[in-house]
Amino acid sequence: MDVQIRALAEPRRRQIMELVRDRELAAGQIASHFEVTRPAISQHLTVLKDASLLTERRDGTRRLYRADPAGLAGLKEFIDSFWITGLARLKAAAEAEARPPAAPAQRREGNRP
Amino acid sequence: MTIVDGRIEHEIRIEAPPEIVFAYFVDPDKYPAWMGRQATLDPRPGGIYRCVVHDQATVAGHYLTVDPPHRVEFTWGFEGNDTMPPGSSTVSVTLTGDGGGTRLRLVHTGLPHPALEPHDQGWLGYLAQLVGAPAS
Repeated sequence: MDVQIRALAEPRRRQIMELVRDRELAAGQIASHFEVTRPAISQHLTVLKDASLLTERRDGTRRLYRADPAGLAGLKEFIDSFWITGLARLKAAAEAEARPPAAPAQRREGNRP
Repeated sequence: MTIVDGRIEHEIRIEAPPEIVFAYFVDPDKYPAWMGRQATLDPRPGGIYRCVVHDQATVAGHYLTVDPPHRVEFTWGFEGNDTMPPGSSTVSVTLTGDGGGTRLRLVHTGLPHPALEPHDQGWLGYLAQLVGAPAS
């Protein structure tokens, strides 16, 4: 998550993600959209790839890139952590409330005779 | 946990009847027992759904469906954020009675992704702030 935030903090890398969101592009095609040098773009591609935001595929001598749908789960994973933690707490609270206050909960928790 | 195309799904079993579980989605006194520390809830279609998660994060939206004790649906987003503003996504919760317990299914749809919002510089900082904030 932190890696993805850092990767996406750079405006050019966000532009690259936009370019390869719905299509696969070669490194050269991506570089043609920018004024900066090809090695600089390669560096950005490496950062995005290392953050699992891009997939890389070789086609002969070309390297093709596109947005990785799995890597794009960063924010969703973050939101999901709300639900994972929250639902675990909800389960604990509701189950504590449902238990009869006086009687020990033997049916499921305990194996005592 | 399943994450596919802007959608989160969870299904859990709770050893409590749907009536008890349902209250945790509509009762402002019970809501903080599982999420955030303060909730403002007006559980009727169009009514406010707001939860202060911690100092830097407040989740807000409004109720769409309130059908006790089986179904509750509300919109969801972060206050002060342009990428995922209040009401921009939808949470749908279904409770099904199951032998004295409840099967809870939660589906959260309409989630954006920061990489796909190139013009919003604000979200990343906000997200970093959320990630860096202590768990409440």
